[in-house]
Amino acid sequence: MPYVEDRPTQGGIGTPSEEDISRIIRDTVESWKPQRGPDWTDVMTRLASTGPPAWLLYTAASAALVLILITAFLVGSALHIGALAPQEIRSHLP
Amino acid sequence: MSETKELDPSTQFRQLYDQEYRSVYRSIRAVVLDSAAAEDLTQETFVRAYRARDRYTPTAPPGAWLRRIGINLAISYLRRQKLARFLPARLYVAPDRRDYDRAEARDVVTKALTGLSPKLRAAVILHYYDGLTREEIASVLGVPAGTVASRIAKAVAIMRKAIGNDQDWEPKRSSSEGALRGR
Repeated sequence: MPYVEDRPTQGGIGTPSEEDISRIIRDTVESWKPQRGPDWTDVMTRLASTGPPAWLLYTAASAALVLILITAFLVGSALHIGALAPQEIRSHLP
Repeated sequence: MSETKELDPSTQFRQLYDQEYRSVYRSIRAVVLDSAAAEDLTQETFVRAYRARDRYTPTAPPGAWLRRIGINLAISYLRRQKLARFLPARLYVAPDRRDYDRAEARDVVTKALTGLSPKLRAAVILHYYDGLTREEIASVLGVPAGTVASRIAKAVAIMRKAIGNDQDWEPKRSSSEGALRGR
């Protein structure tokens, strides 16, 4: 019984070979040119306008949040605000 | 390239920028398939490379180091774009793809690359355009060499099918056949 390949690896007549793929990728990609081109000044500007690193930003934000919560607790308990105020004890239980 | 560990910003890094800009841009563009985004990401690649220049060790060519930064930036950019689609419409403004479709989807390669995932595109471009070996690509993408091999094989199979079905594809048999006969 002759061997018949059910999934031909070589492709049909119009199917490009791996070498064709390699060549057309190289040719096409080589033809791509940036519109603005190399702009070293922009690199320098981006470097100059860089903000603080992300880890520093998150650490500072977390510390600020903890500080706000502690301050709110202290102020609330000192001024007897809301749930931090002394709770009324009912003398007559039902 | 110099044997010093740190790239001198005033001279060497500037030279590296001028030498590698276009090839880094092309590699990134092949992954994101958007020329404007590719230019922005290329600039960002050099900004990040400049910041990390003291960590550069000359065991690999600086071009491979830049591609590692650029390709990973491109893949992260596409991941962010994908996640952004889940944001409410008022927070996320989808980029206008009409210009891209008009201007950039003309060539058969771009159309074939559109059918690949960003990771497959990265493997294909690093192999066929940048000429990196599987081991070098594995190092750039942070995956095993076997994974790179399977990605390239899968991508080539998809591209062969896509290009073979493309109306604009015209086989140029003379040059490749001649080259093969000469071997």
